Amino acid sequence: MIYREAGQYKTTYDTDTQIFPIAQDRYAMLAILLIAFIVIPFVATPYIFSAILIPFLIFSLAALGLNILTGYAGQISLGTAAFMAVGAFASYNFMLRVPGMPILLAFILGGICAAMVGIAFGLPSLRIRGFYLAASTLATQFFVVWCLTKVPWFTNNSASGVITAQQIEILGFKFDSPQEKYLLVLGIVCVLALLAKNMVRSTVGRSWMAVRDMDVAAEVIGFRVMKTKLTAFAVSSFYCGIAGALFAYCYVGTVEPEAYNLDLSFRILFMVIIGGLGSILGSFFGAAFIVLLPIVLSMIVHVTGLPNSVTSNVELMVFGGLIIFFLIVEPHGLARLWQIGKEKLRLWPFPH
Amino acid sequence: MSDSAQRKIGDVILKADNVSLSFGGVKALTNISFDVREHEIRAIIGPNGAGKSSMLNVINGVYHPQEGTITYRGEQRKDMDTHAAAKSGIARTFQNIALFTGMSVLDNIMTGRNLKIKSTFVEQALWIGRARREEMENRRVVEEIIDFLQLQHVRKTPVARLPYGIKKRVELARALAAEPSMLLLDEPMAGMNVEEKQDMCRFVLDTNDQFGTTIVLIEHDMGVVMDISDRVAVLDYGKKIGDGTPDEVRSNPEVIKAYLGAH
Ligand SMILES: Nc1ncnc2c1ncn2[C@@H]1O[C@H](COP(=O)(O)OP(=O)(O)O)[C@@H](O)[C@H]1O
Ligand SMILES: [Mg+2]
Repeated sequence: MIYREAGQYKTTYDTDTQIFPIAQDRYAMLAILLIAFIVIPFVATPYIFSAILIPFLIFSLAALGLNILTGYAGQISLGTAAFMAVGAFASYNFMLRVPGMPILLAFILGGICAAMVGIAFGLPSLRIRGFYLAASTLATQFFVVWCLTKVPWFTNNSASGVITAQQIEILGFKFDSPQEKYLLVLGIVCVLALLAKNMVRSTVGRSWMAVRDMDVAAEVIGFRVMKTKLTAFAVSSFYCGIAGALFAYCYVGTVEPEAYNLDLSFRILFMVIIGGLGSILGSFFGAAFIVLLPIVLSMIVHVTGLPNSVTSNVELMVFGGLIIFFLIVEPHGLARLWQIGKEKLRLWPFPH
Repeated sequence: MSDSAQRKIGDVILKADNVSLSFGGVKALTNISFDVREHEIRAIIGPNGAGKSSMLNVINGVYHPQEGTITYRGEQRKDMDTHAAAKSGIARTFQNIALFTGMSVLDNIMTGRNLKIKSTFVEQALWIGRARREEMENRRVVEEIIDFLQLQHVRKTPVARLPYGIKKRVELARALAAEPSMLLLDEPMAGMNVEEKQDMCRFVLDTNDQFGTTIVLIEHDMGVVMDISDRVAVLDYGKKIGDGTPDEVRSNPEVIKAYLGAH
């Protein structure tokens, strides 16, 4: 009975197309934002910021980027980490080589570079799909990391290939502590999530879904399939690029090609599958799940006194099982389960 | 009979001349000449595999014939281009329903309005000014179509969950959302029960009547075809064997022999 939309009549199309048409959802979102921006900064420990919240937000952003491409536009990609790497290295080089470059601008330019690389490597999607496209994005993954490792200019001739990221300073304010970095990442992720939500509720989002579901029909009603696919690659890679830059500057603190390996691409793909293909909220669920799972498992192992080596093996088994479960039973992931839960709650306590 | 007396049937707006289309060795269309007049209901009939769907695909540029020309609104060309066809006001439905299965009824119909959108990507991402206004304006038009086709109760339902007959109606709604001047309908009543067929017939007639939409219709139900069409073309094995008013076609000996006789 608590979660009811009774009495909330939509009298204009404007209110019906709101991001959260149901009032309870709006209040819940507002509460989450207030907690995230105001309460958490005061109560969380540096460990929680650096080991849980910051990676959660950054992975959510990368998962959101991949979800735009795979979940909304239906183009599979195994090259997410490569686009993140482009964002990180481009931001680093802009900071390094352009005097007085503001860091936010460097992040945006990093995202734009990733978008351009995304468009270039998205071109094969115009001719191939499914498994073959996956193989081609896999090539992207290896090619980009190889390039960043082999061309010394990208790493500024650093012998080890590992570079410390420059300090973050915006309008004279330095973001040094985990708490400050958390707030920066949170702000960026909120803005980009809002923009993504706007895209998927307007024509550009519908063009992605149309091409995903039935490209001949999409073409016949006037969408340009080529432009639609490349837009999805560009936007997706832009998001991944920004996530990659934040990964370097706010999470690991270094810029190194090896951090953006295939393993990372797969982890983000798993977040999207578990969280829910074609759902913005699902990207956050998936990231939370994958960030928290190893932590929860190691706590269980700790409490039960099992050997530590069990953790990583159990983690892999749980992952594998869940991926298979979601792919077969519920391709819309946790986001769909959440929705079903809400529908049940709407009718509760009356079964029908 | 249709109320063609009230409607003003205009000039020929689309003309195919000696069109031939083949796939490898299969000749789907052989030397077909076919025209459509403005505001009329033009039927194409013929047994399965006769080339009816291929003809629609040639008209809106999904297929490109090897021979012949197509003249649309005074412009003669070798073949049509899908995007250009959509832009010039040709909309269609498919024989095997081609809806966007992952989207709601509302979103499916909204996609039909994509060519009316002027706002840029950035405006849409920011949900400001023109982008938001267009969304509301298009939503208003789409709601009118939803009312017209009586789809109010399934507005927010994902199309994958709908029964067959309703899906066909949603596909018509998506085509109508483009406010087309010419509508190509590929077996809109196939697989429907009598009541659903009657509804669909009424929607087709109303569309033609209220909006003056030119309609090219493929249909197997002879009763329906003879009832609502102004002119009927008969295809058989990729060749046109008859063309004219329903009465003319009904009494054409070749048509009776090849097609109607079989029923
Ligand atoms: N895309 C295609 N590829 C190969 N053959 C096709 C294709 N489309 C149609 N055909 C062939 O063209 C002929 C006419 O098909 P079609 O136009 O679908 O007939 P109808 O709609 O009258 O049943 C058939 O022999 C069919 O197999
Ligand atoms: Mg057919």
